[in-house]
Amino acid sequence: MQLSVLTDNLPYLLWGAYPEGELGGAALTVLLSLGSALASAVLGLALGIGLSLTRGLPNLLLTAGIGFFRAIPVLMLIFWTYFLLPIVFHINVPGVFSVMCALSLIGGAYLAHSVHAGISGIPAGQWAAGMSLGMTHFAVLRHIVLPQALQMMLPSFVNQWVTLIKDSSLAYIVGVGELSFVAAQVNSRVMIYPAEIFMFIGLIYFALCTGLAWCADRIGACFNTRYDGQLRQAH
Amino acid sequence: MIEFHAILGQMLAPKYIGWLLDGLYMTLLLSAVVAVLSTLLGIVIAAAHSSHQRWLSRPAAIFIAVFRNTPLLVQLFFWYFGISSLLPENTVVWLNSVHSVTFGSYLALTWPSFELLCAIVGLSLYSATYVSEEIRSGMRGVAEAQRLAGAALGLTRWQVLRYVILPQAARIALPPLLGQYMNIIKNTSLTMAIGLAELSYTSRQVEAQTFKTFQAFGIATLFYIGSIALIESGGQLLRRRQRLTDGAHR
Repeated sequence: MQLSVLTDNLPYLLWGAYPEGELGGAALTVLLSLGSALASAVLGLALGIGLSLTRGLPNLLLTAGIGFFRAIPVLMLIFWTYFLLPIVFHINVPGVFSVMCALSLIGGAYLAHSVHAGISGIPAGQWAAGMSLGMTHFAVLRHIVLPQALQMMLPSFVNQWVTLIKDSSLAYIVGVGELSFVAAQVNSRVMIYPAEIFMFIGLIYFALCTGLAWCADRIGACFNTRYDGQLRQAH
Repeated sequence: MIEFHAILGQMLAPKYIGWLLDGLYMTLLLSAVVAVLSTLLGIVIAAAHSSHQRWLSRPAAIFIAVFRNTPLLVQLFFWYFGISSLLPENTVVWLNSVHSVTFGSYLALTWPSFELLCAIVGLSLYSATYVSEEIRSGMRGVAEAQRLAGAALGLTRWQVLRYVILPQAARIALPPLLGQYMNIIKNTSLTMAIGLAELSYTSRQVEAQTFKTFQAFGIATLFYIGSIALIESGGQLLRRRQRLTDGAHR
């Protein structure tokens, strides 16, 4: 084990050439993951609600579209967004943004099904009760169904975000300087101790992924006790 | 709109289609090998993880946590770059050189390239953790009474597992397992990062040579979707067969 290669390159691995150059390394991985996590949650929610509320042809089209994104490798979608986005928008799209688009689309497609399952898991009586109070379809969804469904869906959201952190490493393929990319860069520059380098960045990813899962667990637990408390008060 | 017209221009030359087909072959071959290996390893991990012996279940849990919570790409880099620095030099040279075994005059087995070897090892270990979780939840899905009934009939623990639990667990675990096999196909695309000439790698190569981005990625995408759809329909067929035999039993 030779750790000097890590201490020598630690700042570069953690935040790239920042502040002289562009932000990179673990910091970029975190930002990339945060952005895609947020976008995939919004997209997954919208698509899941769409799946639940549509019938017939629109539902079929939606299902097919979501199926497409679930069937292709993330890498392939990154290629697509990386090359198509500049053509569609007629501007130079930064690599980070195209990777974020690909990750959000895939994450959203996976989440759509869990959101749909969560909404279907709410008993029909809840809908009927809301409607009988004179609420609109949307109001029932917004105030009664979603708050309950979202709690059930929390684990699948967290799972998807953990996957997303791991998938953000694929930005390496299109030359975005996140953690995996700078690690490969350092590796090819020093040419020795590759095992140490990749084990170390594996450790960083491990900390990010398990850290996220742990935080979500805490938040979920706190959420549950508060909810139970409210219920108990109501009784 | 001009660009789109230019993009959709002409088809790829047969030579490049050939490259893509070679890539598809490599993707499917790698997926098949990894599916078999990760299933075997997954059964071992699942058995260890659900054991009551702590010295068995603890390492299994740690193994799963480590391999699940780090990116596959980093794992592949580790095997490809890292392992050669950790192994004795002679072993590395031996792994990197060409070996082949010939049986008679028609069948020749060639030792896989170092890239393919790393891809197989990396993907199998990564996928095995997911497969083991599916198998474990399949085993949990079999009612405890089944184990007790087997034991009451005088079967040994191993016989109960072999003849009572596993056949039922396999049926429960089949749909999620097929999902994992689809994930394996998709995950093979990452091996392009260590230079294995599979489908994503060749599509990138064709794109670089011809500048026909849309066609190269389009055909590769269709190949991926086709492979996934094949597994999906195979699963549907299997499920329908199961339902038919279930009906016959009744």
